[in-house]
Amino acid sequence: MRKSFVGAALALALVSAACGGNGSSSSTTGVSASGGSVKEGGTLRIAAFDGIDSLNPYVGVNDDSYAAYAYMYPQLVQYDPQAEFIPEFATSWTHSKDGLTWTFTTQSGAKWSDGQPLTASDVAWTFNNILKFKDSVTAGSAGVVQHLVKADAPDPTTVVFTYDSPVPAVLANVQQTSILPEHTWAQYAAGDGKALKTFANTPAKDTPTVSGGPFMVTQYQQDGTTIFEKNPNWYGTPPHIDRFGLEYFSNEDAEVTALKTDQIDVIENVPPPSVKTLQDANFNVFIGPASTYRTFIINSSPFKKTNPELMDPQVRMAFEYATDRQQIIDTAWLGHAQPGTTIVPTTAGIWHDSSIQPLPFDIPKANEILDGLGFTKGSDGIRVANGHPMTYDVLFPGSERGAGDRAFQIIQGGFQQIGVKLVQKPAQGVYGIMTAPDNKYLNWDLAMWNWTPPLDPDFILSAMTCHSFGNWSDSGYCVKAYDALYAKQARTVDEQARQAIVYQMQQMVYDDRPYIVLNYNDTLNAWSHGWDGFVQSSQGLFSALDKQSLIAVHQT
Amino acid sequence: MSAIANEPGIVADAPRKRSRGGLVWDVIKGRPSAAVGAVIMGIFLFIAIFAGVIAPYSVHTQVGPVYGVPSAQHWLGLDDGGIDMVSLLLQGARVSLIVGFAAAFVATVVGGGVGMIAGYFGGKPESVLMRITDYFLVIPDVPLMIVIATLWGPSLSHVIFVIGLLLWTTTARIIRAQVKSVRERVYVKRARAMGASHWRIVFRHVLPQIAPLLVANVVLTVAVAIFDETALAFLGLSDPTAVSWGSIIEHAFLRQAISTGAWWAIVPPGICVALVIMGCYLVGQAIEDALNPRLKVAHLSVRGFRLRPLVGMDKDTL
Amino acid sequence: MRGADYLLKRTLFALVTVFVAVTLNFVLFRALPGDAVSNLSHVPHATPALRLALQKEFGLDKPMWEQYLLYLKELSRGNLGVSFATQQPVWSQLRSKLANTIPMVALGTAVAIIIGIGTGVLSAWRRGTVTDHISTNTAIAFYAFPTQWLGLMLLILFAGVLPSVGMHDPFIVGAGFWASKLDALKHMVLPAATLALTLYGEFTLVVRSSMLETMGEDYVLTARAKGMKSWTIVRTHALRNAMLPTTTLIALSLGYVVAGTILIETVFSWPGVGQSVYNSVINRDYPMLQGAFLVLTLSVVFFNFVADLLYFRLDPRISA
Repeated sequence: MRKSFVGAALALALVSAACGGNGSSSSTTGVSASGGSVKEGGTLRIAAFDGIDSLNPYVGVNDDSYAAYAYMYPQLVQYDPQAEFIPEFATSWTHSKDGLTWTFTTQSGAKWSDGQPLTASDVAWTFNNILKFKDSVTAGSAGVVQHLVKADAPDPTTVVFTYDSPVPAVLANVQQTSILPEHTWAQYAAGDGKALKTFANTPAKDTPTVSGGPFMVTQYQQDGTTIFEKNPNWYGTPPHIDRFGLEYFSNEDAEVTALKTDQIDVIENVPPPSVKTLQDANFNVFIGPASTYRTFIINSSPFKKTNPELMDPQVRMAFEYATDRQQIIDTAWLGHAQPGTTIVPTTAGIWHDSSIQPLPFDIPKANEILDGLGFTKGSDGIRVANGHPMTYDVLFPGSERGAGDRAFQIIQGGFQQIGVKLVQKPAQGVYGIMTAPDNKYLNWDLAMWNWTPPLDPDFILSAMTCHSFGNWSDSGYCVKAYDALYAKQARTVDEQARQAIVYQMQQMVYDDRPYIVLNYNDTLNAWSHGWDGFVQSSQGLFSALDKQSLIAVHQT
Repeated sequence: MSAIANEPGIVADAPRKRSRGGLVWDVIKGRPSAAVGAVIMGIFLFIAIFAGVIAPYSVHTQVGPVYGVPSAQHWLGLDDGGIDMVSLLLQGARVSLIVGFAAAFVATVVGGGVGMIAGYFGGKPESVLMRITDYFLVIPDVPLMIVIATLWGPSLSHVIFVIGLLLWTTTARIIRAQVKSVRERVYVKRARAMGASHWRIVFRHVLPQIAPLLVANVVLTVAVAIFDETALAFLGLSDPTAVSWGSIIEHAFLRQAISTGAWWAIVPPGICVALVIMGCYLVGQAIEDALNPRLKVAHLSVRGFRLRPLVGMDKDTL
Repeated sequence: MRGADYLLKRTLFALVTVFVAVTLNFVLFRALPGDAVSNLSHVPHATPALRLALQKEFGLDKPMWEQYLLYLKELSRGNLGVSFATQQPVWSQLRSKLANTIPMVALGTAVAIIIGIGTGVLSAWRRGTVTDHISTNTAIAFYAFPTQWLGLMLLILFAGVLPSVGMHDPFIVGAGFWASKLDALKHMVLPAATLALTLYGEFTLVVRSSMLETMGEDYVLTARAKGMKSWTIVRTHALRNAMLPTTTLIALSLGYVVAGTILIETVFSWPGVGQSVYNSVINRDYPMLQGAFLVLTLSVVFFNFVADLLYFRLDPRISA
């Protein structure tokens, strides 16, 4: 499963964000094709690969689950295709000069799907509830209430958040938080709140889930199909479609076959080898930049004493010279990726430092560096460093199977040419292996994995800090100067100033190379010609970033 | 594959007529299909041993586009990594056969040992060992394989161990039954009466009698073991660095070979597995038949659907 | 009193096996490498607080023997625990998965039996002829093909014609009763066919060889000498005698088939027990895995027991 942190973030968000959303845009081209008639009604059938693992926002972790919550529940704000914040349940917002008080004005006259009023007090209850149990039941959402003291609803259309310290990513945080109906959920929050997680939130026979978004769930089967019907009490623009269904497929081949044989209408994540197949079969295929990227991780834990040659920045540079990114993109991703550089992906817009360039694939240069360090090659062609051959295991999580196997083979081939032997070690529960023992990160050297960070860079930057050990860190990277910069950007209000610090941090991480970022993936989705109007985001046409896509989609 | 006993015991040894050519000739004469099976096995063994030499391309180097179509240079096209399929198949023979034989060897040594002890000594040791065997038999093997492969991590040696761990039980039952019958034979009794030690009796008398049965057993177990390895590889639980027929199928499945239309990436490895399993079955079956046509031994059964042999269900087990 | 003795012994054996299976189940899933809890937390990076909370929740902070007793106690009440992934009771999920697997398996096995007996009889009847050879070798061939590969071949062949995924079309809204039953049946064809093709060969060989046995017996010779028609002999003697091992084989196969459908369910995205075993392994959902494993083991024990009973009932040589 991909590490996706839209929602489950334990981000320490300490930077004050711009008010009302601003900043220059990223290049997400999410414009849907225009032209053609708009037919109302119909059932949109979407093929999902991860599936919705739970309808309970305190339990689910899959990408599809978060996207589902975005369509079931209101969020105060949402992203537009240029990754800017635009109104959703909140029609406008302001904040005090010191950034400690944020005030949101919400929709008036809104109702939940069961007819109960949907007001600012539901918003306040939602956030206060997360606050109340942030050390236990709601620990997974603790990041969104960092430094929040309380949330109040002085009147039905006003919410006031009070912080004890300026929080930069307030908008990003509230964007991720689904507003839950207090009248349905409050009963589970009694006592220790454990019932909040065991409540299945599934629809009963003639009773859909109580929803506040454009759709409500009328049928749910984990590992099966979930049906979302139009919510008649939705306060926003009504969707064109009557309903949509998310059908879970356990293999991607079947998705493609199902699209071709008209059993489904949309594939939300087209596997790269199938892009050409679908284009040739004359389906609509969208290719755009995504926030997902692949990493080759070099253990940087200061506690680790074995294989010290791996801590040498020269050795790491040689490794990057030996990595043929282009071949990986061509073979593993069939061209649907871009060469990777920094840990903040291009979809983050102004936060991505585009001045950082990847090192080219240059075997002679890599050999030169390693020769210069005195690591002579043995009779089997493998270099010897610090008295042992340069042979290393590479931890390989199940989520990387398929394309990742090919990427590994290519990297392995490149390293072989510079006298380093890599052995692929597939593992489940990789994170547990990485942190052992006691969060010291001692038992591994190399790994491959991926990230899909939120659009605000704070989260991914925090994953490289010392206090992220045992938390989000998968590299053991710990540099005091970096942590100091992180704390600084967390307090910097001015966007330009913050950007400068964020760029400095990216350069630092790039030079130290705890990661060799292999490539930024593309988001690939496909749909049949009977439909049009999707709004694309950096996470495709069905994502947790906005509600617009499935509201705008229509039959042609 | 089973020819189940429809009588519960082992038929006492009827005097066996041997032709001048010995057992091998008996086998071939009785079942011409054995010759076919032997030829198939021979071909694949040859391939497995000489794969490194006869493979036209390396299995680590990309030689063309992803899912390249079959052509004059690449008779079976290329896989999802742009690697020559023919070379992959030849290399895969090596791993699949090694795992098959190694696992079968483990299963036969363990099972044979247990069966021997149980059959020879009888009494307490026998019922204890047989009870243990029975408990192992009821464990569903594919789920167990999955669990162990996941817990211990995927590597070829783990796979061999796991498969061997599950397959020894049937061997044990068969060997035990046969050993019991041999034990009752006149010359063995005479040897005991003359004071021969257990070791001597086992090695000089019992072992030669059950050796052909062991051989047949190994061959049949190989078939099951290869199937099991293919299943584990398909589920991503075998060693990913090893090229086996199972992993070829797995990669094709994971990388949309079917919807891309790249049948050459998926059809050949399955056919190879089938041929080897068929070959094993024909040879093993023929050996068993030739040993004693009236010896109704329940064979190792279906991969994943294991059959408890009804042989050995004589009055002692009730 | 032979009969009662036999029954008692087999029942006792079945019960003890259940107990051993339960214990083995428990031990297997506690022998985890590394820190069990960090492995089990579904959220990839759980905070220390979350991990502690999970440990308490699933009773992993108690000593092993206490966990074992707790496990037995809950088991006796039918409580298989709560899934880590969905926070819902394991048993209710397993129940619906079983309800998905069983019809497909039943269909496949039924077809396998019919084809198996049919070809077995044919082969025995036409022993030594070309028909026999073709029939027998085809049976062996289908048996030899890897199950998952066979499923993929069927997928390739029937891509447009039959649905390739899932149990039913989830989007037929408001369809009639028969229409939806037909749809479910259409979805079941390919996975059941895969199962049938993989399974039938065994039945063929068993029926064939036991029929040949019988046909070589003296009393059959006598019957022929008396002028009985060949086919009558086959029907009244050979076939009947072949039923004993065949029935036993069927009963035994059923026990294992449920476990063996993991491969088929993966290929066809069939949401059954096999797939849930596989998914719970990948997701490290140990209670779910433990529960599924137990259910599968118990089904094997149960069907073995049934086979014992059948054997006892049908074989005149055993009963008192």
